[in-house]
Amino acid sequence: MEHAEIKDLIPLKALSQLDGDEARAIDEHLAAGCDECERELASFNEALAEMAIAEAGADGPSDRIWSRLQARLDASRPALKVEDRATREPSRGRDFAMMVGSAVAAAIVAIVVSYAFNSRLRSDTSETSNEIAALTAKVIEVQRNVDTTGDQLAALEAKVAQTTDLTLASLGPDARVARLAGLPASPSASGSVALNPAQGTAMLEVNGLPPTPDDKVYEVWWIGEKQGPIKAGLFEPSSHGATIVSLDLPPPGEVVLASAITLEPSSGVEKPTGAMYLKGDFPRR
Amino acid sequence: MADDNRISDEGLVSAMAAGDQDALATLNQRYGRALSAVADKILRDKADAEEVAADVLWQLWREASRFDRGRGSVGAWIMMTVRSRAIDRLRARKAREPRAGDPVEAAVTNDPSNEIHSAERRTRVEGALATLNDGERDLLRLAYFSDLSQSEIAQRTSIPLGTVKSRMRAGLIRLRDTLRGTVE
Repeated sequence: MEHAEIKDLIPLKALSQLDGDEARAIDEHLAAGCDECERELASFNEALAEMAIAEAGADGPSDRIWSRLQARLDASRPALKVEDRATREPSRGRDFAMMVGSAVAAAIVAIVVSYAFNSRLRSDTSETSNEIAALTAKVIEVQRNVDTTGDQLAALEAKVAQTTDLTLASLGPDARVARLAGLPASPSASGSVALNPAQGTAMLEVNGLPPTPDDKVYEVWWIGEKQGPIKAGLFEPSSHGATIVSLDLPPPGEVVLASAITLEPSSGVEKPTGAMYLKGDFPRR
Repeated sequence: MADDNRISDEGLVSAMAAGDQDALATLNQRYGRALSAVADKILRDKADAEEVAADVLWQLWREASRFDRGRGSVGAWIMMTVRSRAIDRLRARKAREPRAGDPVEAAVTNDPSNEIHSAERRTRVEGALATLNDGERDLLRLAYFSDLSQSEIAQRTSIPLGTVKSRMRAGLIRLRDTLRGTVE
């Protein structure tokens, strides 16, 4: 598809109103670095944001949203410190592993805090109605969590095993970690790929990916210096768009420059055909 | 989306990258309820909508140091992200009946500068939307605030698919150009 045709479709892209082939063509065009179309898309996104805010008919702060944010701030301080270190370099693998560990700790802290809120709610009826509504929601959520403790423990054990693999892949002098950034098909997604050929491990961690259609799956690629895209594995994210999975190692002797994730038919393909959702370069040695 | 009398959204994101929680609170003051309202228009579930709104602001807080200003404004990014996340959530849960007894947001006292800014913005956008014909305006709203594809919209509105596409495209171009004209 030519540049002019692509540009004509940008308004529909901003509205998420393109079919698969058109969306793929635009994503590839944007990924190839067309600044003009990127600016065009940004300008339509600005206009739609203005329309959305005005049409939503609501301005100003939200106490309940702030309560949710405040709880996350309180619960995640250790994780944020690790995140800060991660942006300063250089031991990215270790920092990532600590971030995952801290996130688990933060989740536990959140549950404890919720219990505290529960007790407070029972003993102190003088809170404002907003606070009571928010706390009641937390209590219900905690109760639901308690009811499914067995399942959660099993899931947590599996998660710890995956996290351990991810940690192993991220550590050691031969480890390489690529930070994956969301592309126009999924701007809010992020992730990391850890590759450690010496240990024979390669792991992927992603967040914020949209769910896959029934007949599709995400496919991970190594971008090799000699062979270009090389299959690394297939996965479907959780309902929250997150997952940690092990990957096939790239062929021996291949220099891996980057990693990418595309949406493909459910059986997978030998070379990428679908829209690219995430991509990141490995640091040069 | 900034005005001269207050810290810009981009300035707030820079402050957030340095760990300034007040900056996050200010951003919530500016966009919190709008985010929640947009998500609610898509999800029809206030609790889910608030969770999505909080998720978006939380993501911006965590990734503030990596925010790419070259790809658009903070306001555009958060509105695009909240819509995307709300549609993802809608698809994940498939069709669900609206909940009875959704909590109602209590009235809050807004920052006067925010109120002025919001009123100006509403006036400007309403003026721009008024330049669209009814068909264009309705299709834009339907496309933005629903999870319907263009084919489903054509079916629902009994408008030929080609006309749906051309009206959406023309409407959005006119909206953008008019807003640009009122800003510049």
